[in-house]
Amino acid sequence: MNSGVIAAYILKEFKELLRSRMIAIVYILPTMIIILFGYGIRMEVTHARTLIIDNDRSKISQDLTVRFQNSKYFDTKVVTGITLKEALESIKRAKTDILIIIPDRFEKELLKREKPEIAVFVDGAFPVRASTMENYVKGVIFDAASTILKEKPKNLVTINNRNLFNQPMRDEDAIVPGLIGLILLVAPAILSALLIVKEKEEGTIFNFYSSAVSRGEFILAKIVPVFILHSINIFILFLWATWLFEVPFRGSFTLYWLSSELYILTSIGIGLLVSVITRSQIVAIVLTIIITIIPGFLYSGMLMPISSMSGESKIEAHIYPVMYYNHIIYDTFLIGQGLDSPKNRLYLVILLFYALFMLLLGSRLVKKETG
Amino acid sequence: MKIFLALITKELIGFFRSWGLVAVVLYSFTLDIYIAGAGIEMQAKNISVGYVDETGGGMSQKILSRLHMPEFQKPVMFNSREALSRSIYNRETMVGIIFESDFEKNLQKYKRAEINLLLDSISATQSFQALQYLQNILLEYADLKYPVKLKIHKLFNPNATTSQFMAMAEMLSVITLLGVILTAAVFVREKENGTWEIMLLTPVNPKLIILAKSFSQVIIVMAGVVMATGIVLFGAFDVPINGSLFAFFLLSFFYAFTSAGIGLFVAAVSKSMLQVAQLSILIMMPLIFLSGAWTPIHAMHPLLQDLSLISPLRYYIEGSESIFFRGTSFVDLWSYFAGVILLGSVLYFYGFRKIGRLF
Amino acid sequence: MADLELKKITVTHKRVVAIKDASLRAQEGEIVGFIGADGAGKSSLMHAVAGVASFEGEVVFKGRTFRSPKEAEPLKPLIGLMPQGIGLVLYKNLTVDEHLTFFTKIRNIPESPSLREYRQRLLEMAGLSPFTDRPAGKLSGGMKQKLSLICTLIHRPKLLILDEPTTGVDPLSRLELWDILDEIRKSEGTIALVSTAYMEEAAKMDRVYLFDSGEIIASGTASELLEKVAEYSYEPTPCTTRRCITTMDYTYSIDPLDAPRKTPTLEALFFINALREGQQIPHIEISDRENKIAVPPVVMEAKGLTKRFGDFVADDHIDMQLRGGEILGLLGANGAGKTTFIKMLLGLYPIDEGELTLLGKPIKSAKERRELKASIGYVSQQFSLYKDMTVRENLHYFASMHALDIGKAQERISRYAKELGFEKYMDELPSDLPLGINQRFSVAAALLHEPVVLFLDEPTSGVDAIARSQFWQMITLLKKKWGISILITTHYMSEAEYCDRIVLLKEGKKVADDSVENLYKKFPKAKSFEEIFLHYYEDRI
Repeated sequence: MNSGVIAAYILKEFKELLRSRMIAIVYILPTMIIILFGYGIRMEVTHARTLIIDNDRSKISQDLTVRFQNSKYFDTKVVTGITLKEALESIKRAKTDILIIIPDRFEKELLKREKPEIAVFVDGAFPVRASTMENYVKGVIFDAASTILKEKPKNLVTINNRNLFNQPMRDEDAIVPGLIGLILLVAPAILSALLIVKEKEEGTIFNFYSSAVSRGEFILAKIVPVFILHSINIFILFLWATWLFEVPFRGSFTLYWLSSELYILTSIGIGLLVSVITRSQIVAIVLTIIITIIPGFLYSGMLMPISSMSGESKIEAHIYPVMYYNHIIYDTFLIGQGLDSPKNRLYLVILLFYALFMLLLGSRLVKKETG
Repeated sequence: MKIFLALITKELIGFFRSWGLVAVVLYSFTLDIYIAGAGIEMQAKNISVGYVDETGGGMSQKILSRLHMPEFQKPVMFNSREALSRSIYNRETMVGIIFESDFEKNLQKYKRAEINLLLDSISATQSFQALQYLQNILLEYADLKYPVKLKIHKLFNPNATTSQFMAMAEMLSVITLLGVILTAAVFVREKENGTWEIMLLTPVNPKLIILAKSFSQVIIVMAGVVMATGIVLFGAFDVPINGSLFAFFLLSFFYAFTSAGIGLFVAAVSKSMLQVAQLSILIMMPLIFLSGAWTPIHAMHPLLQDLSLISPLRYYIEGSESIFFRGTSFVDLWSYFAGVILLGSVLYFYGFRKIGRLF
Repeated sequence: MADLELKKITVTHKRVVAIKDASLRAQEGEIVGFIGADGAGKSSLMHAVAGVASFEGEVVFKGRTFRSPKEAEPLKPLIGLMPQGIGLVLYKNLTVDEHLTFFTKIRNIPESPSLREYRQRLLEMAGLSPFTDRPAGKLSGGMKQKLSLICTLIHRPKLLILDEPTTGVDPLSRLELWDILDEIRKSEGTIALVSTAYMEEAAKMDRVYLFDSGEIIASGTASELLEKVAEYSYEPTPCTTRRCITTMDYTYSIDPLDAPRKTPTLEALFFINALREGQQIPHIEISDRENKIAVPPVVMEAKGLTKRFGDFVADDHIDMQLRGGEILGLLGANGAGKTTFIKMLLGLYPIDEGELTLLGKPIKSAKERRELKASIGYVSQQFSLYKDMTVRENLHYFASMHALDIGKAQERISRYAKELGFEKYMDELPSDLPLGINQRFSVAAALLHEPVVLFLDEPTSGVDAIARSQFWQMITLLKKKWGISILITTHYMSEAEYCDRIVLLKEGKKVADDSVENLYKKFPKAKSFEEIFLHYYEDRI
């Protein structure tokens, strides 16, 4: 290894990156993804557009509708005198999410213990949303019902619930750290995937082939600029997460930073592999996107906790480096055990292993000859 | 017309000769949609449960036996609260239940008792759903006699499977992605291969060339739509079709033109395929996320809600949902058609003019 | 003992043998030339010697032997490789200065006064010292090649491997490249392996190796090689036997011919080798055009045509006439404004100033142009064909663009295929075919609609001698049978002599406009057209 040679190569890579428009993709893409997904993905349901047809207009029925009106989960409109058909049409046109119909004689039947029936229609097009809305409605109605409940229940078990890590159950807290894991996997991989294949396509790779520059030096020169440029993203993304999305940060920043750097190296290693095996830039870009985005999503823990996985997907999750990094990152943001936890220590070592393995594999496969 | 056909034939030949591109398109319209549908699950399922039982069994085990697949994994016993808590902190267990020693006594004596629940609430939605499942199980166990009956109808998608929904959303995203990239590629490939000038020198009206070239890609995308709808949506996921399939294809056709319009714009400002790839990613990401594919529009940040009004994909997705799940009649789809056609023509004509200037 | 010795080198690409059992020797300070058609194995051998491709056999250089790229590694500080392709090894965003610094650093050469001096000398030899801040992407083709060469020379290699450094480069830059090479080999004792498509260059080398389909089939000094073919070279005469071919300037025949002999050039090697191997060299023919038209006396008239790119004036008030039925050669160095001028004529660039009359009509609007497109044929520098369509599909596509009806298109396409000798390649993809075939079928595509005027931009660059000769037969036949006008650019000065008239551009200005004869009269001392060209360009002669 010759530091002068490496420095010259690195300087050249930097100049090229800065002068080409490639630099835009380095900083615009990560910020764009975190802002769009961070603001865009909302799993919790608030302000469900609710239409209540109160055919009873009694005190109890009004009591019930007021409960809906006072909840932040519903935007309630109480109407009378519209037909079921018209109301259903409103759901069909995606103007209404929930339709609740209180029958006439509701109060009378209730008082006579005749079990009046409340009909509820929920827009099922968004499944998760539909079942959440269903549970909300059940909750409000049964809660109201239990206040006028006469007989004592047997075996009533209540829950004394403690929400750990994300007390208010905010979507931002749930999603944003996972997004960092997704971005730091995809963006460095795309950039590094292009670096070698671009030289292959344009022919400048011959400068490496025909000089005494070693494979190690060449790889190092390719890695360092991407590594430095994306290391800045570690801080930018941290700022977006804590400042813009107000995600709490309970753990050790050093651990966050260290594991992110290792993770970036792994991602660069993936890109490097792609770059070594492909011949054209467009194939390299498409291949990188395919092999990083989907696993980045599935195994991030954003949509589904790793502990809920089983069978193949559990095995796959353990193969991709995504899971290990995300475990640490959620810990640093929300849990805060840091290096006290043996699991975090183990996962950090695994990340280190991945980074070294990917880079080593990449540099082993780089050829210093044509064909 | 003969020239128009010749132009289209040429593009289709070019498409089928580049097997890499064919493979990518086939993959996107089949496996990619399948993976998204089968893999991305937002309903809480298979939740890991751990418990500490200080009561010595009985009631507690009866309750635990009610936790079962598909919602819950078999509960795992821990010997101490610390062990349970550690497992939750290591995120191996999502729901931790603690039956305190007086649990059974209270239940027998007062007919009511409390369990302590430790909930890993990082995945907010899933955690919330887990809590609700548990609540429902306990209510059932209590065998409450409510004075009212609730009859809940889930409209349009009674089985409420995420996979159907995700598969469809992914298909619409794929249409956008390929509509843009393929169209842009058709033009940029000519720039890269140096055939651009030859194209300019043919005595054919440039408008006809642009139209034919983009139309050829619309054909490819539409073939993909038919294939994906038949094989993946109907075949693999049994997506219901409550409305008119013809309406869906018609809407898709207009939408394909819209994305082709974006492709024209991308082609006009890009010199290489690399720039096409970069630009497409930058334009498409917001488009897809503002569309309501991932999250309902009215649940978004208010600013994003306003912005989403100018995403043609929004109208396309809402329209498609209405056709498949809601069974909205043709006449009532006019607003979606209007949205797609209006934004589509603006985008298409803008792209058309932009690339037309290069002729 | 030889300083460089290649022993039985075989290079295989994806199970296809690119070069087989090639051996050669060279001494310090020698320039060794590689000539041969494209695909003959020159580049593969060069890659093997440079240690960038795997091979069988042995390379011995300075007493050290290597058998693989890996073993070549310790020798790489002594080797310099410049692969084929204009500016291929340059980074288009980096400046001239940054290139030299980068190449110095990656060769791990310590900063020293002697290095600075050497570097300055290289810059001056290449004429690049005024442009050290210019990004490589903005240099002309000739400058790019000179920059590539001095970057390859910065570490003072003892073995220099240059793969077609002069293809697509103008005569002046070519001379300058050779001057640099000559000086370096004298002062540094460098061995240079150089492949070239210009036989004049090959004639100047110490030894020449002739490559044909993966083998070295002849070697020796230029005069030795010429001696071997002298007996088969005659003044142009009609052929009577099968093993005979007539080109623009020669007749080559294996069987004795009753005609005066003519001193051959190295190009004769290609023809005679082809005749010996019994290769079919298709005979070019052109039948009369179907639609007779009267070609106007003046096909194109440009008055004060000007094109600016920012501050840079690419074409500066150029007046030019293209008369009916003439072949007009447009010559000039790289960056002199030839391509820009043709593109203005075609309407690919807007005209900044001046007037253009095509086929008697002043050209103003795009609509007027479109009507004229039906009378114009154009072949661009890189024979722009659709690579993903077969030859047949390409031709049918162009036919329908010109709204030819199917029957007529079919008939014309098969006629051209037969006459221009690419009939057996009809169902292959252009990328699988030799450049010469691509060139002829590009011209066929441009002729489908029977144009009145043909614009050809460097149609012969990189094409081998036989294909070039056939190309010119085709062009002269077109003129004779069709009576159309042809505007052509080329860097082969010998080809200029086949033109009726020459227009010479220099730095965007027209400096000469006359018939070849008159130009020779003007410069009576000139032995070749290249010298006439250089007279206009060089202030140093």
